[in-house]
Amino acid sequence: MRSLGTFQSRKQATERTAAGTMLVLLAIWPLVFSSNSYWVGYILTQTFAVGIAAASLIFLSAYGGMVSLAQVALYGICGLVLGNLVTSGQAKGLHLGWSPWLAVAAAVGITTAIALLFGAIASRSAGIYFLMITLTFGVIANTFFGSVTTFGGFSGIAGIDTYTPGLVGNHVTQPARLYYIAFTVAIIVYLLIRYIVRTPFGIALQGVRDEPVRMRSLGYNVPLHRTLAFGLAGFMASLAGVLYAWSIGVVAPGTLDLASTVDLLVIAVIGGLARIEGAWLGAFVFFAIQTYVRNVSVPVLGGSFNTIIGFIFLAIVIISPNGLMGLWDMITRYAFGDRGGGSSEPFRELRRIVSDAWFRLKGGAPTRTQSRSETL
Amino acid sequence: MAAVPSPAATAEPTLRLRGVGRRFGGLYAVRDMSLSIAPGERRAILGPNGAGKTTLFNVISGDLLATSGSVELFGSDVTFMPARRRARLGLARTYQQSRLFLGLSVEDNIYLSIVGVKGGRLRPVGLPKRDGEIRERARNAARRAAIDHKLKEKVGSLSHGEHRQVGLALALAAEPRALMLDEPASGLSRGERNLLTDLLLGLDREITLLLIEHDMDVALRVAERVTMMHEGRVIVEGTPAEIRADQTVHDLYLGSGHRE
Repeated sequence: MRSLGTFQSRKQATERTAAGTMLVLLAIWPLVFSSNSYWVGYILTQTFAVGIAAASLIFLSAYGGMVSLAQVALYGICGLVLGNLVTSGQAKGLHLGWSPWLAVAAAVGITTAIALLFGAIASRSAGIYFLMITLTFGVIANTFFGSVTTFGGFSGIAGIDTYTPGLVGNHVTQPARLYYIAFTVAIIVYLLIRYIVRTPFGIALQGVRDEPVRMRSLGYNVPLHRTLAFGLAGFMASLAGVLYAWSIGVVAPGTLDLASTVDLLVIAVIGGLARIEGAWLGAFVFFAIQTYVRNVSVPVLGGSFNTIIGFIFLAIVIISPNGLMGLWDMITRYAFGDRGGGSSEPFRELRRIVSDAWFRLKGGAPTRTQSRSETL
Repeated sequence: MAAVPSPAATAEPTLRLRGVGRRFGGLYAVRDMSLSIAPGERRAILGPNGAGKTTLFNVISGDLLATSGSVELFGSDVTFMPARRRARLGLARTYQQSRLFLGLSVEDNIYLSIVGVKGGRLRPVGLPKRDGEIRERARNAARRAAIDHKLKEKVGSLSHGEHRQVGLALALAAEPRALMLDEPASGLSRGERNLLTDLLLGLDREITLLLIEHDMDVALRVAERVTMMHEGRVIVEGTPAEIRADQTVHDLYLGSGHRE
């Protein structure tokens, strides 16, 4: 029987190898494969960008115990503010024609400020009420930009991709540039989250997640802590918004509508609400399926992207409430022999997973305590 | 109505309640309660279930605000002060339920307790030297509560008795001037109770200790004075010996029928 320590170090080593391989592969991808391919221009760049927004959602959920439905609204707001500031001439909205870097800094700053305001309002709520308040923010943002023609109106602002800084260039003719920028920003956001959760602020955020009452009696200002975490997540989402605007070119109220809000939640749940890595995994699965599984027909139900992604979502939620990352954790637990709480027989482990899923379907208690994602 | 000042209360009392009440709708959980606790005093609050002991603790710690009367802590009026600021004044408490951070390690739990009082609560960067000092203090507190062999383990995986120890370590690590323990011995084995009693008896004499405890062996050994509560009021106050001999206390705990 192997000790727990061995299991964890072996798992960690495997994860490092897998992550390293993937990073190298992604780093050389545009060089090896044609840089004009759909993968570089759309699937992977979108994965990096939208993955950042999903990471901001998972950060709040995993470390702050807050499931936010406002992350799409925040990245949409950032894209729309950027569009208003940076475009000129005949473009819709304010078309102020600011210099690209200044406009990006202002858009990120304004979005972060709005996130702090949202966070301050929502910071005294928890659980389903927090979810509803953040959903309200999303609906307000969507309605606001759909109704106020001064800022672009219903059809949104197009052509933002032609007002990028020189470093980014034109996304259509030089997709590899934005690919690498999105890749780099995604890595930075990931490392930022990993770093911040080990600082006093981050550890305290986890304390707020677990026991806000005790945190208060230890001397912490719980609503302030929640607000700042929400602001930080808003900052991350705004980076995603900039990358999104640069790659798609058009940001409209439809970018931040209810369907998109649900899409991001689906991405986060497929990837796994308990681990940050799940954000990009979920985003990749989402965009890959969106691209390739569009026209596959399901018997009886017919075929569409929504049908397929819906089935995958359902399967994930039932089998592994912590998403694909949770599935990975299950597999490594089996492969590397951490039998703590489990069993040493592969079939019994499988039976446990199936029976857990069955209990969850029936609404009973699973045999092993699962994560907060179930309280969703 | 008992507003009996403690004999030791010649100096400024650590805690003084004047006519404190806490009402939930039509129910008075605590009613017109006056209490004075001297620096360094060990005071036990006794009373049957529903007597209002925990509500009293919540009013003192700031988890609940008093609906009437005033609360003075370390000589200043804290009646409307939020709980977090009372904690920073040097008031620490434990809860009846563990209320620990189950997803964090024992060390991180204690670390949060120290940072909560010492400052740097919002610091978004790691400072290796400063964090190292805080962690060293956390380990010392864990040692005092005899839980230092599980520093790196997640609190969620520990037993009930160990939760009690971690809760105590959290309270001690903040180096409070006043410490309030809500039923620290509940659910502990006999051996664990003895360890707890020894730890409380060995506590720094400058720390004022306020204790809710149903276990008379623990409560009456540790406390110098005892306040007996019933239906939100103080009914008796005295030394452990006086409490042991008091007929009202016997009636409350055993029922007046036991005399016959």
